[in-house]
Amino acid sequence: MQHVWWLIGWRNLGRNRRRSLIAAAALGFGYFSVVVLMGWAKGLTAEMIGNGTGVVTGQLQVHADDFKPDESVHATIGGRAGTDVRALVARVRSDPAVIAAAPRVYGGGLVSTGSATVAGVFMGVDPDLEVDVSLLLTVIEAGRAPVLGSNEILIGFEMARTIKAAPGDEVVLVAPAIDGSLGNDLYTVSGVFKTGLVDLDRTFAVLPIDVLQSLMAMDVNRIHEVAATVPDAWRAEDAVTRLNAVMATGEPPIEIESWVTTRPEMVEYATLMESFQWILLVIVFGVAIFGVANAMLMATFERRREFAVMLALGTRPSGILASVVAESLSLGVLGLVGGVVFTFPILVWWHLAPPDMSWLFGEFTMQGALMRPILRVEYPWSMTWQAGLALFITAVLAAVYPAIRAGRVPPADTLAD
Amino acid sequence: MFRLLVVTTFLCSIPGLVTAQTAAEIVDQVDQLLRGRSSEASVRMEVVTEHWERSMEARIWSLGTEYSLIRIDAPAKDAGMATLKAGNDLWNYLPRVDRTIKLPASLMGASWMGSHFTNDDLVKESRIIEDYDIEITFEGSRDGNEVWEFTLTPKEETAVVWGRIVEQVRKRDMMPEWVRYYDDDGEVARTMVFTEFTMMGGRLVPARMVVIPADKPDESTTIIYDALAFDIGLEPSFFSLRNLRSQRN
Repeated sequence: MQHVWWLIGWRNLGRNRRRSLIAAAALGFGYFSVVVLMGWAKGLTAEMIGNGTGVVTGQLQVHADDFKPDESVHATIGGRAGTDVRALVARVRSDPAVIAAAPRVYGGGLVSTGSATVAGVFMGVDPDLEVDVSLLLTVIEAGRAPVLGSNEILIGFEMARTIKAAPGDEVVLVAPAIDGSLGNDLYTVSGVFKTGLVDLDRTFAVLPIDVLQSLMAMDVNRIHEVAATVPDAWRAEDAVTRLNAVMATGEPPIEIESWVTTRPEMVEYATLMESFQWILLVIVFGVAIFGVANAMLMATFERRREFAVMLALGTRPSGILASVVAESLSLGVLGLVGGVVFTFPILVWWHLAPPDMSWLFGEFTMQGALMRPILRVEYPWSMTWQAGLALFITAVLAAVYPAIRAGRVPPADTLAD
Repeated sequence: MFRLLVVTTFLCSIPGLVTAQTAAEIVDQVDQLLRGRSSEASVRMEVVTEHWERSMEARIWSLGTEYSLIRIDAPAKDAGMATLKAGNDLWNYLPRVDRTIKLPASLMGASWMGSHFTNDDLVKESRIIEDYDIEITFEGSRDGNEVWEFTLTPKEETAVVWGRIVEQVRKRDMMPEWVRYYDDDGEVARTMVFTEFTMMGGRLVPARMVVIPADKPDESTTIIYDALAFDIGLEPSFFSLRNLRSQRN
């Protein structure tokens, strides 16, 4: 018997096709809006996390447990004795969530062309490994990355502008060494990088790790950090747990932390965006409910006499109610099919080729991360079915009032009109 | 005579004014102790930090408050490094790379040669009576010595590093005993202690100065004067970039 109400409901959609299509389009557009907006929100969050962790820090870091917050040059992994750098990097790299890891040495000092001098943060890297961990070596505006063993330096765009240095120029570096002496040497500017983050571009300089160790009178087995790339940033905490289980028991102690710990503001933003999706869902389908309810109300009002005949012939009011709800659900199916057919190709399109909004606004920073002016879309998989479910709930809720009214039509009075 | 009496009476009726002038004069006199019109000194500097200890030997030349030249003689690794102060400008010479670099104003707060002195100490110490209002905040006996305690508060329009400086000076020979430097929050940032008062260059001077940072009480920088001569006839031309790079003096 149930299938009869479905049949009646489905066929009734054809009575006023234009109205049915408009109501289905409202549901479909609601589905499209929610899924695409959440795709954009997810893309914005992913862009922020990617850029915020990808420019320098990486998604996971290993360092001596006394390295932070002061980031003392003396706080090297393994203490004064240092560590087997190659083995440490390999161990971090072996985690299934990690795709790249690189050792680093940090220092601070002066970069000078003689007449112009600025203070800088020096990061010693292995260029071959670092290129897969941070963006610094991939955003080179002029020149190239420094080479291991060469007195070369890659400086930020703003620093280069301040001291008027270009690739090929010679600069003097002065840095307090860990033995208390004042390290100083001549370096050739191999290139200039530009991240767009002004502070970073003004203060950061990248050197080959062995060269910076030499400047700072450090042994080659003394490093401050191993930074790692975890492509799915949300798996970084799991990697921390696994690495802690195998690495954090030694002496002197080390600390392994992910961006979740080092950049809590980003986690808070991501959580906020997650909660926003429910608000969006309620608003969009809340609006859609009134449109669909209006269409269903009109449809049932036009068929009052038909319902009166059915009731007069012995149909129970629950049957009338079922047919109206079935009609609304059928409308929901139409809306969902239309919404999915319309939404997914656009999702794929904008995921692969995000709309470039640079004509409207330039690069900007959010939570300390540089954002590109693009509408990057990430696939909001959970939202695709949640929005579908919300669509059907909307269809049912929109049909409740018209269905109850239809089931209460007084047969005699209605037929007498 | 009448006018002198009137003026003297007037001044004595404003004790605050007399005290302020006296305080500034004493502080200025103490400030000039190790300087003179011109001076040349041989010093040892011993720096103790949590992670390393090192000793350096250097020679220092000064002319008034505007010029000074410091050249490191030992250890061999740092020998030849030199710092030139000319007015507000500070230059470093690095013999290893044979380059001279000028330090920008933004680096004045940075450590000088890894010590607990800053570049700002080299440039601005000489302006103490110009940048600070000075008053006597204690006068009496401490540890068996009659002393003054001066409190130096920055003048409103001046940009200085310290929120307040408190200095104790012995009355009997005008020797400084200690100076405490306070930050803007009123907390002690570092203390400088003067000892080993010795006749050098015809003057009684504190031959040993120890700087102790408040946040790292186990660390210190000690400067010991081995030789000191005053009024040696230096001219401003001595404090040139050419002389900074020269290893002859």
